[in-house]
Amino acid sequence: MKSIRPINSFSGNSGSDQNIILDSIADGVFTVDKDWRITSFNRAAEKITGVSRNEALGQLCKDVLKADICERNCCLRSTMKTGEQIINKKVYIINAEGRKLPISISTALLRNKNGKLLGAVETFRDISIEEDLRKVISQKYNFADIISKNHKMLQLFDMIPDIAAGGSTVLIEGESGTGKELIARALHNLSSRKKFPFVAVNCSAIPDTLLESELFGYKAGAFTDAKKDKPGRFKMAENGTLFLDEIGEVTPSMQVKLLRVLQEKTYEPLGGTQSIQHNVRIIAATNKNLEEMVKQERFREDLLYRINVFKIILPPLRERMEDIPLLIDHYVNRFNTLQKKNIEGIDEGAMSVLMSYQYPGNVRELANIIERAFILCKTGIIEKKHLPENLFASQTKESNAEGESLRDVEYKYLLNILKQNNWNCPRTARELGIHKSTLYRKIKSLGLQLP
Amino acid sequence: MRLALSVFKNCISTVFDSADQLLIVETDEVTNLKKIPLKFVSADPLERVAQLKDNDIDVLICGAISRQMQALITSQGIVVHPFIRGEVDSIVSAYKNNQLEQAIFSLPGCRRHGMGAGFRGQRGKRYRWR
Repeated sequence: MKSIRPINSFSGNSGSDQNIILDSIADGVFTVDKDWRITSFNRAAEKITGVSRNEALGQLCKDVLKADICERNCCLRSTMKTGEQIINKKVYIINAEGRKLPISISTALLRNKNGKLLGAVETFRDISIEEDLRKVISQKYNFADIISKNHKMLQLFDMIPDIAAGGSTVLIEGESGTGKELIARALHNLSSRKKFPFVAVNCSAIPDTLLESELFGYKAGAFTDAKKDKPGRFKMAENGTLFLDEIGEVTPSMQVKLLRVLQEKTYEPLGGTQSIQHNVRIIAATNKNLEEMVKQERFREDLLYRINVFKIILPPLRERMEDIPLLIDHYVNRFNTLQKKNIEGIDEGAMSVLMSYQYPGNVRELANIIERAFILCKTGIIEKKHLPENLFASQTKESNAEGESLRDVEYKYLLNILKQNNWNCPRTARELGIHKSTLYRKIKSLGLQLP
Repeated sequence: MRLALSVFKNCISTVFDSADQLLIVETDEVTNLKKIPLKFVSADPLERVAQLKDNDIDVLICGAISRQMQALITSQGIVVHPFIRGEVDSIVSAYKNNQLEQAIFSLPGCRRHGMGAGFRGQRGKRYRWR
C-alpha cells in the first residue's frame, strides 16, 4: 500500500485546521493522489459512504466510493486527464450497508502553491431525499422504498421478487394506511410488465353503476351522450397491471362480472357485442376480511378463490412498532426538504408518546402527525407540545399514568413483542435486531418476568 | 458446480449492479478449471438474475451490491458472497481454500458484509469446492 500523503501538504494550513474545516462541511469531500489513493476523507464522506476515515485513507477511491461510474466513466480520471471540473453529476453509490444512494458529485484538480499537480478532489452530496420526493411524484416505487425492519415485513421483502416475477393474481390485505398501493406498485415495477401501465382503481370511490363502464369502457351509442368509444381501465392497463383497491366494497352483481373477466380473461365494453381478450395482471387489495365476508355471504366465494392466488398480509403499524423511529426519521427528512426547514428530530418525551400510540390510521396517520408537528415546530427538535391532543388522550387511557417514562414504554413494548413471539427470546432479539444477550440484559434491567 | 464472478479486466468489478462482465468458473475435478467469459445482456435487475439462473450459477462472488439486487439473486437459490475485491485468480483460489473471509478480500468498511451478511443464513448452502 502506498504511503498516505497528509492533507496539510496541499496548502499552508495545518492538518488539524484542514480536518476541522473539512469536517464542518455538510458535503462529503475526499482527495486523491495521482495513483487514485485517498489522502483525506471528511466526516460527511464517512456518513454517506459508511466507510470510516481510517478505513478509507490510502485505499483506491473506487473501492471506497463504490459508484456505478468508477470503472468506465470515472469523473476524477476525466478531470485529471482534461483538467476540467465536473459539477453536480448524478451517480449512484452502494454504501457499506448495501443501500443504493443517489449522489451528486463534483470534481476538481488539486495543486500546491507552486501549481504542481498533487491529485484531485471530489465533493459529493447525498440526494436520496430529492430522489425520494421525485418518486413520490412519479410513483415509481420499488420494494427498496418500503421502510421496515419488522421480521414479517422482511419476510415479505424476500418473497416480493418471486411474486413479482410470477404473473398470478395477488390479494393484498391490510388496514387503511399500511401501504397496500405501495406494495402493488413495487410488485408492478419489479415485474416484466413494468414498461406498461400501472392503473389503480378505487372500487369504493366509484358508484357501482359507473364502475362497469369505468373498468370495461363503452361503445358509442351505449347510452345517451355516449358519442364515441371510451376505453376502460382494463384497456388502459393492457400488458400492465390493474390495481383494484377496496375490492371488498364491490357489489354482488359487479363481483359476478369481475369473476367472468378473471376466469375467461375477456371482457365486454358496455354496448359492445364482442368480447375483448385482455392481458392484464390483477392486484386486488382490501382492508376487510374477505373470508369473513364470504361467510356472511357478502362476497362471492368463487371470486375470492380467483383473486386469492397469492395473499399478502400487511401488518398494521401497531404490530411493527420497531419501525416507528425509522419512519419518523424518514418523514422528518422528507418534510425538512419539502418545507425547507432544519428540524433535527424528535425528543425522548415525544418519542415515548409516539411509541405508545396505537395508530388506527397506520403509517399515513404517523406521516400526518409529523407533518402537523412541522407546522408548530419552527426549528430545533419536535417536542410533546407539537403533537396532537388525541395522542395524549390515548396514552392516558392506555397507561392510566400521565407522563409515562421511556422506561415504562420500553417495558410495555418489550412485553408486547415477547408475547407476539411466544416468549421466544432468540426470535424476539432477531426481530428487534439486537443480540440475545442484550435482550436478556434488558429484560433483567426492566424487571420483566418471563413465564 | 458453477461459480460466477462479476469482473472488470482481471479484477472483481467494484459494483455488481453496474458491472457488465461475468466470468463463469466451472469445475469437474480439482485441477480442471474452465473459465467462460460472459457479457451481461441487460442492466435490468430481473434480467440479470434471469441470466444468472439461465447459466445455472450456484454461487456468485461480486463487489458492492445493492440489497435489492442481492435479495433478488438469493431468492433464486444462488449463494452470494458480496463486497469482495481483488484479482480473479486470487479470489477463486481463496474461495477454493475457504479463505474469502480474509480482510484483504473485503471492500473497505464492508467486512461485516464480506463474511457477515453475505454468509449469514447461508450455512449449509455454501458450496464446497470439489
